[in-house]
Amino acid sequence: MLFYFRARHLFRPFRLTTCLLLLICSCLSAVCTRRQFIWKMSRAGLSCPGCGSSNIVDDNLYCQSQLVCVDCGSVVSEGALVAADDHVGGSDVSYSRSTAVAKKPCMNLIKGIQRVKAICRILRVNSGIEDLSQTYYNLAYQHESFIRVSLQKKEVLAGCCVLVCCRLLNWPITMGTISCLLDADPMVVGMVYQEMVKILNIEPPIINVTEVMEAHSLEYKITSLHVPEEYAETSKDLTKRAVSLVELAADSWIVTGRKPIPIMMAAIYLSWQSLKPNKHRLKCSLEKFCQIAKVNKHRPASKRITEMKKVLCKLGNEIPWVREAVTPDNVVRQVEDILKHRYALLRRALRTHEEALLVECQASCEDSLTEEAAPTQSSALVEQNPNASSVEQCELNAERAQRPGDGDDNPCTVSELHTDIQESQYPTPNWGKRVLFAPPCVTHPRKKRRVEQPELKDVTGDEEISDSEIDSYIRTPREAQEFILTQQLFYESEQS
Amino acid sequence: MDSSNDEALDIIITNVVATFRTRCHLNLRTIALEGTNVIYKPEVGKVLMKLRKPKITASIWSSGKIICTGATSEDDAKLGARRLARLLQKLGFKVRFSAFKVVNVLAVCSMPFAIHLIDFTKNNRPIASYEPELHPAATYRIKHIKATIQVFSTGSITVTGPNVQNVATAVEQVYPLLFECQKPRYK
Repeated sequence: MLFYFRARHLFRPFRLTTCLLLLICSCLSAVCTRRQFIWKMSRAGLSCPGCGSSNIVDDNLYCQSQLVCVDCGSVVSEGALVAADDHVGGSDVSYSRSTAVAKKPCMNLIKGIQRVKAICRILRVNSGIEDLSQTYYNLAYQHESFIRVSLQKKEVLAGCCVLVCCRLLNWPITMGTISCLLDADPMVVGMVYQEMVKILNIEPPIINVTEVMEAHSLEYKITSLHVPEEYAETSKDLTKRAVSLVELAADSWIVTGRKPIPIMMAAIYLSWQSLKPNKHRLKCSLEKFCQIAKVNKHRPASKRITEMKKVLCKLGNEIPWVREAVTPDNVVRQVEDILKHRYALLRRALRTHEEALLVECQASCEDSLTEEAAPTQSSALVEQNPNASSVEQCELNAERAQRPGDGDDNPCTVSELHTDIQESQYPTPNWGKRVLFAPPCVTHPRKKRRVEQPELKDVTGDEEISDSEIDSYIRTPREAQEFILTQQLFYESEQS
Repeated sequence: MDSSNDEALDIIITNVVATFRTRCHLNLRTIALEGTNVIYKPEVGKVLMKLRKPKITASIWSSGKIICTGATSEDDAKLGARRLARLLQKLGFKVRFSAFKVVNVLAVCSMPFAIHLIDFTKNNRPIASYEPELHPAATYRIKHIKATIQVFSTGSITVTGPNVQNVATAVEQVYPLLFECQKPRYK
């Protein structure tokens, strides 16, 4: 045993604890019975690789069990450094949890909030909107539909938060402005906006074009600071006139269903021309105007200008002191007068239109009366015969023409009367042809009017498909062969 | 149909989409080879087959699932589907017509009055939503019958729903709401 002690001492660094341990071990083993000692001495079947002796003992050093050769002291094998049952009572902790630090706020969230602040500063909104948009951004960002989207979409989300807060707190801006600021596709902005509104359960008010007009007109750099005197105009005058133009356009079916920005652009262009209709301005096209004002031209704006000019011409022709006919070329000079007296002119135009229709009807009436019996008053003529409907129209017109004229009526009352009567009729196919103002999709219908198709009565589905018909669906074997050959030919010719 | 007016509204069904299964694997190359009026799309993995009577386009997948579109009524869709199954039988596949289901119905309807969309949306928030910058129509979604109605300012509406009955119910439900927001046409 002393032998053993000495051998260990040779190959291990001397330490007090080791020494003590060994001393204790040796004492203990001395106290142990002979049989135990023999067990300690020999490990069955093992031989030391160094000296070849079979004197291998099991030893615990620093809680590590080892097989040691007594003769030369070399370690034959060793066990685990830490025994498995030494950790009774402790729990398994994963690596990530053991190395975790305190949770830091998400960097992208912080950047997003800074972007929200930046957008608010650019738009120069008040602090209430800025705070509210940051709150909304925080909420929306953490939601599951936005936490994992791309960074570009998160930026769009920032813009949408600002947009919704502006709408809620009465500072209307358009989606077009936001998509310009973010340099993003307006459709993507729209999608993100709608999803965000759904998630956050907000009900923003719908903005009117007239409300946005002021903010929009500020974009046009057309004041005397930016351009020469013959082109300059104050933003206030421009806005005022453009708003009246847009209201007129709204009454005549130009605004409904159209994108607001081209309408606003057309209104501002026409109001700019009409505020000082000198030859410089009248010669200036929309494209040149956009270049002067440093805005991007929208293609639909030219169409809106044409439509607005048409409406203005219809009203312009009613002005009593204008002798010549008003055409789209010379209507700009009359715009100021038209807008000032627009309600009166509208009433006059409607009356003229009705009288024209009445004359037309009466002419066709005289032709058709010989063929058909005279119809009864207003209600239910069920057939869609155009003659019948126009005759009815004549009756109604005659009735209305007898009523007192102008007064202080709003055109609304005239039209309400008309719809009351009209509701009891069968709906006529194209009301666009009969009224003064109608949306273009009704005046020039591109699609054929849909009618109920008669159901197929002769097909049950379970019947045998006749030979002639089956030929149109299935190729004969010969045709199939030819098809394969032709395909191969094409393939080869493409390859070569 | 409507209790509020004497006239009847014409609801015209423009498209019915239905699916069914053939319970057997279909070899798309055989169909493409031996069938006329077919378009084979190997990149997607389907064959498009057009029937003349009734006028239907079918997308056929090799798993045996078939989608039929273009029918103008639910019965038409079923007839067309059965015809198609018959045709595939003739081509040599062991087809068994099963699991027929109408998935979507699209209908249009025209109101005899124009509608003021902004008022309509204000009265029916949050079920209705209107963004003029994105789409010219206001969208009205009825959750419990799973129907979506697109309302245009000219008075036309389009309705989509899972079957014809739901579509009719949706129109009946939305008519009074549209009636109170009507705009005089005569301006």
